Amino acid sequence: MSLDDAQIVNVNIPQQQSPNNSSSQEQIQSKSWRTNSLQEPGFVDLGSKRVPHGSRQGDVDSERFSISMSHREINDEDARLVYVNDPLKTNERFEFAGNSIRTAKYSVFSFLPRNLFEQFHRVAYIYFLIIAILNQLPQLAVFGRGASILPLSFVLLVTAVKDAYEDWRRHRSDRIENNRMCSVLVNEKFQEKKWKDIQVGEIIKFSVDDTIPCDAVLLSTSDPTGVAYIQTINLDGESNLKTRYAKQETLSKIPEKDMINGLIRCEKPNRNIYGFTGTMEIDGKPLSLGPSNIVLRGCVLKNTNWAVGVVVYCGRETKAMLNSSGAPSKRSRLETRMNREIILLSVFLVALCMAVSVCAGVWLKRHESELEILQFYRKRDYSEPEVENYNYSGVGMEIFFTFLMSVIVFQIMIPISLYISMELVRVGQAYFMIRDDKMYDETSNSRFQCRALNINEDLGQIKYVFSDKTGTLTENKMEFKYASIFGVDYSGERTNFEGEQRGYCIEVDGQVWRPKMKVEVDKELLELSKTGNSTKAGKHIFDFFLALAACNTIVPIVVDTSDPAEKLVDYQGESPDEQALVYAAAAYGFMLMERTSGHIVINIQGERQRFNVLGMHEFDSDRKRMSVILGFPDGSVKVIVKGADNSMFGIIDNSINLDIIKATEGHLHSYSSIGLRTLVVGMRELGVPEFEQWQSSYETASTAVMGRVALLRKVAINLENNLEIVGASAIEDRLQKGVPEAIESLRKADIKVWVLTGDKQETAISIGYSSKLLTSNMRRLVINSNSKMSSKKSLEDALVTSKNFLASEDEDTGGSDGNTNSVALIIDGTSLVYILDTELEEKLFQLASNCAVVLCCRVAPLQKAGIVALIKKRTDDMTLAIGDGANDVSMIQMADVGIGISGQEGRQAVMASDFAMGQFRFLVPLLLVHGHWNYQRMGYMILYNFYRNAVFVLVLFWYVLFTGFTLTTAITEWSSVLYSVLYTSVPTIVIAILDKDLSRRSLMTYPQLYGAGQRQESYNSTLFWLTIADTLWQSIVVFYVPLFAYWKSDIDGSSLGDLWTLAVVFLVNIHLAMDVIRWTWISHASIWGSIIATCICVIIIDVIPVLPGYWAIFELASQGSFWVCLLGIQIAALVPRFGIKMVKQHCKPSDIQIASEADKFGNSMELGGQEIEMNPARR
Amino acid sequence: MSNVTTPPMNPNSSPPRKINSHRPTYSRFTQQELPACKPILTPTYVISAFMIVTVVFVPIGLASLFASRHVVEIVNRYDDYCAPYGSRSDKVRFIQSDADKTCNTTITVPKHMKQPIYVYYQLDNFYQNHRRYVKSRSDQQLRNKNYENDTSTCKPEDSVNGTVPIVPCGLVAWSMFNDTFSFSTNNNVKLPITKKGISWKSDRDHKYGKDVFPKNFQNGSLIGGAHLNESIPLSAQEDLIVWMRTAALPTFRKLYGKIEVDLKAGDTINVIMQNNYNTYSFNGKKKLVLSTASWLGGKNNFIGVAYLVIGGLCFVLAMTFTAIYLVKPRRLGDPTYLTWNRSPAGH
Repeated sequence: MSLDDAQIVNVNIPQQQSPNNSSSQEQIQSKSWRTNSLQEPGFVDLGSKRVPHGSRQGDVDSERFSISMSHREINDEDARLVYVNDPLKTNERFEFAGNSIRTAKYSVFSFLPRNLFEQFHRVAYIYFLIIAILNQLPQLAVFGRGASILPLSFVLLVTAVKDAYEDWRRHRSDRIENNRMCSVLVNEKFQEKKWKDIQVGEIIKFSVDDTIPCDAVLLSTSDPTGVAYIQTINLDGESNLKTRYAKQETLSKIPEKDMINGLIRCEKPNRNIYGFTGTMEIDGKPLSLGPSNIVLRGCVLKNTNWAVGVVVYCGRETKAMLNSSGAPSKRSRLETRMNREIILLSVFLVALCMAVSVCAGVWLKRHESELEILQFYRKRDYSEPEVENYNYSGVGMEIFFTFLMSVIVFQIMIPISLYISMELVRVGQAYFMIRDDKMYDETSNSRFQCRALNINEDLGQIKYVFSDKTGTLTENKMEFKYASIFGVDYSGERTNFEGEQRGYCIEVDGQVWRPKMKVEVDKELLELSKTGNSTKAGKHIFDFFLALAACNTIVPIVVDTSDPAEKLVDYQGESPDEQALVYAAAAYGFMLMERTSGHIVINIQGERQRFNVLGMHEFDSDRKRMSVILGFPDGSVKVIVKGADNSMFGIIDNSINLDIIKATEGHLHSYSSIGLRTLVVGMRELGVPEFEQWQSSYETASTAVMGRVALLRKVAINLENNLEIVGASAIEDRLQKGVPEAIESLRKADIKVWVLTGDKQETAISIGYSSKLLTSNMRRLVINSNSKMSSKKSLEDALVTSKNFLASEDEDTGGSDGNTNSVALIIDGTSLVYILDTELEEKLFQLASNCAVVLCCRVAPLQKAGIVALIKKRTDDMTLAIGDGANDVSMIQMADVGIGISGQEGRQAVMASDFAMGQFRFLVPLLLVHGHWNYQRMGYMILYNFYRNAVFVLVLFWYVLFTGFTLTTAITEWSSVLYSVLYTSVPTIVIAILDKDLSRRSLMTYPQLYGAGQRQESYNSTLFWLTIADTLWQSIVVFYVPLFAYWKSDIDGSSLGDLWTLAVVFLVNIHLAMDVIRWTWISHASIWGSIIATCICVIIIDVIPVLPGYWAIFELASQGSFWVCLLGIQIAALVPRFGIKMVKQHCKPSDIQIASEADKFGNSMELGGQEIEMNPARR
Repeated sequence: MSNVTTPPMNPNSSPPRKINSHRPTYSRFTQQELPACKPILTPTYVISAFMIVTVVFVPIGLASLFASRHVVEIVNRYDDYCAPYGSRSDKVRFIQSDADKTCNTTITVPKHMKQPIYVYYQLDNFYQNHRRYVKSRSDQQLRNKNYENDTSTCKPEDSVNGTVPIVPCGLVAWSMFNDTFSFSTNNNVKLPITKKGISWKSDRDHKYGKDVFPKNFQNGSLIGGAHLNESIPLSAQEDLIVWMRTAALPTFRKLYGKIEVDLKAGDTINVIMQNNYNTYSFNGKKKLVLSTASWLGGKNNFIGVAYLVIGGLCFVLAMTFTAIYLVKPRRLGDPTYLTWNRSPAGH
């Protein structure tokens, strides 16, 4: 604490002394908001998971932010100087960006060069380009100009059209955005101005429900205390209201009358939406500015009639715009493996080219003496007066040229088109994932979101799932459950008023006000609460609910309903726990109706009462409690404190009511052991001298310029002591729907589920039981240590125990059912501190891999990432992290696949994630169904593309052996080029998007089928080499059958080329058809359509009279041998593959094979009819 | 065979939607539940597939073999005896000289040959598919008089002294085969050879111009082969048209003409040849081939043998699979074969 003070003082002193002086120290590093969020320590145990943003008296965030940059100060070079209400002077020295935004990338003129430049960032296109350029050299011109440029230009054109369309849409939305209106102070009057004309330094005014056009520091608001409520849904998706404050010093100024002059000195524009530091000098008085003083572009002003602010960042420099870049890109496991195989293919390519060029050299050497008069070579050119070598530059050069030419001819050995196909396929898969109505969340009205487009297939190979608890496994919708009031436990029968009374409501001015959410209430407690202060129990209950209604930061908002006589009271606040408590208090007749910074109005059993809020000490993660000082209508003053049990019992007076305290502790224990979140409430009446003493120190502290937070904390700690216990509340964080079933499925799929939570151990364990993560026959190993030595010892013990246990289990059951008895590891954050990043990590890993379940409690955000890293470093297994809060961001980014739950807790997790969805249970269809499909489809597509291209290249290669190694292609150059672009590309993409090896039902019924992806069954080296062998055989058949059939005949090159073209295209398409599992009309259309398209293309090429192959296809097709060859090739090439496939299917059927047979023949007896019933297709 | 896992959604049963609901609109396509045929290869299918191949392939193979056996083919290599014995350089010198290159031989017809009898010349080791060679031609020039100067692709045989274009230009035309054959029976009755219609009709009609006449052809210092009659348009120069259809493989035949009378077994035929074409410089063989044709073309057993082999193999496979299915039957879709049911300690 004292260290913090020192740093804060250090930060602030220079600002105070020399605000205009450029006393430069170190440079400010603009920190990305992500880094910042990682630094926030574990403030997770109480209700509020986030540090409140809008602390009025002290800016917790900003102070922490300053601390993290300790001893640094904004000097003039790194600062932005904004002269309030003087845009000219502000922009004099530096031209700050105007407020016009430009999300569009291109203008009409820059489109072509920039778009091309961006497209050529891809390796694939550069490869295309190099090959095309090589082909333009006259020495190497294998293909004609047109043919060689066609594929590249086609791809470039398609991409350019797509980019242009997207950009046009961006231009349009930019225009709309830039032309919105806002009122700006010009010549002491507020005038309407277009958004794009707003400049830094201007004073702008916005009224309720206005969208804020730029980042502005608040000067004053309609609220006398300077509060403005904003909604940041456009910025981070959080829908609750946040409070922002104008500085007290500027509050009273009226911009039109009082000339506001001042200087704001703030950091350079950066992406941190939760941080802002700066100073404002008004009337020669320096004031410090924090994130609670700034409103950001895109936010909406709510519940505040108007607010006035100074523009500090505009346009592209606003935090919203700086944050609008996309998700981080990851590369999928399959693609990484594929790249290895592609290197192998490049080696093949080089080998083929070497072989051809060496053979060509040998051939030339052997025929060197004859070359001059060989009719088909003619080394010399006699047509010119001077006889010289024609196109011949020595054997060495010829070898070199041959090598380059063969690279051009065999270029598609490297399946560059595969990268483009993969992108298309992923888009298609994403489309289906987004459209899946089984992953649509009704409650939040949100679809599945694919934020990263390149790791779809990773979803099929997950081995570890790391899950957050609150908001992920649970709904993070807190519900008040039980209360222990002055040692009496009210956890009796629940009643809800559905139907009979429709909850508690009151009448105000002839209107019915009712809380927005209904709470189940305890009958007995309800009766007692109505008795009021008359009985002793009634008094305690009164105190308890008054504390719940008063001690919070909730703002009641009255919402109209369709019925004009009825209004709903919506409690807005940042902590769902507080919301739950206030709703509960309202249900028991203590309805919070109004909150301003000075007073609150509570309707107590129908009677409106006003309490003065004399002071408030907000929640912070050191104290783990908050307190409010309330002036009662009768003139007495009380301090009400609410906090976590361990922080509260320390400050409760043990000398009185010891038995009550004991009883409460007992109740707390029983609550937390059934997974409830508990809070303890204490209260004390303040005597006049004590109150006055507190008040003076509170005022000093809250007006202090520097170290305000620390001072206030001291004041709070001095005040919060010797409390009298009032009671404890238990809030249920309900499990999300379907979580136990989902975890069961994941476990069956052999996915290890680890839960990482900030909650305390008992809560975590109880949630573990209710979510079926832990079962009663599991052996629990608990590690709670607080030193390195003890961690080491408990780790070693646990390791031995787990090994012994597993060994004995194996003996006992003979390995009959390994699932029922297993080990669960429960470890807490303190132990992890000593284990992670030390040599103990290895032991923890060994232990964890012996355990079926791992539960980590009280872990800080960075530790979550550390645990994911622990697994990632040591295994090849794929990891998935799923979470919903800011504290899960690091874990989500660390894991191979990060999933954000778009639920109650804001959108930071979603922003950092690769995929986002509404409910935890969607993980099951996502992984087991879509993941499985994606993986299987992508794996097959990669192998097929390797095969498809290699078989064609090999056919070309065999022919080269019969042309004196000169790279003539019998297949026309147009067919060579169109082969991978048109003849064979569509079916592979369509099949990779649409084919399903198993039905959704089978995959959901048998989660074990997921193992195929984990074992890499669809793509591995064995399959790769088998494919290559098959390719070799098929290419031999395609090439040599016509060769021998037409040997010593008068067949011409073009005809034979056409035969090869058709044979190979038919073959690869039929090969694909043989592997298609589910034939829809689209698959039929694409495969047979491709074959027909090929025939049409071949015919078109052959009706052009100036091509050498004119009419060849018709002459060819008139001969019987053509048809006989074509048929023979298909069968001979495919028989081995078919035979091996059938043998394998029969003798060593894979699980997928059996399941798909069962799927088809519907062996309902074995599948178990009831099991199917359990998973009916949800409509 | 249609696999319908879920019935189509009844629109009335869906919950009333909010205006701005993000619920994906239901369609069988988006839910990946399009009606599909899902063929599973049961043992019956597999065995019958192999049997069908056998049933189709064996007859075709037999028919091909039969056709091939009925083709009568006479092959006569003449490049060796039509040149003086001695070293290769002697032969090259001979063929380049102005000496008389007439050469006689007699061939005996082994079997009755039904007309039309095709007369081919066969060149071995001649790379008509060599990259330098196939590119050295101008199809534009052959087709259209106006493209006479379009000789850029014809190097090194594009023009005389670099100015006057050669028609037809390029190595392909330049190297045209120029041996000639004439046939007579042993009682000196001339056997007429039809040289009309030996090229593709499409080539004569559309690919070679009726108004394109040879120009400056074979005027260079190095004579590659045949001379052309400058008064006959290219479309009528059938030998050229045949030659210009460059062969696919280094051993190839080209049609020389057709004999349109039957030849009886035991007939001897006198052949008078002009052995002009130089294949000696690269050890190429020249052969004269007389052959009848079947529906499959010339004499070639490969297709027949290949079909019989494939047919036989599939028969063997069909039998093998029958055996496998009988010896080790497996009920399709039997869950007891699933790995986690088979190995007790599945996971």
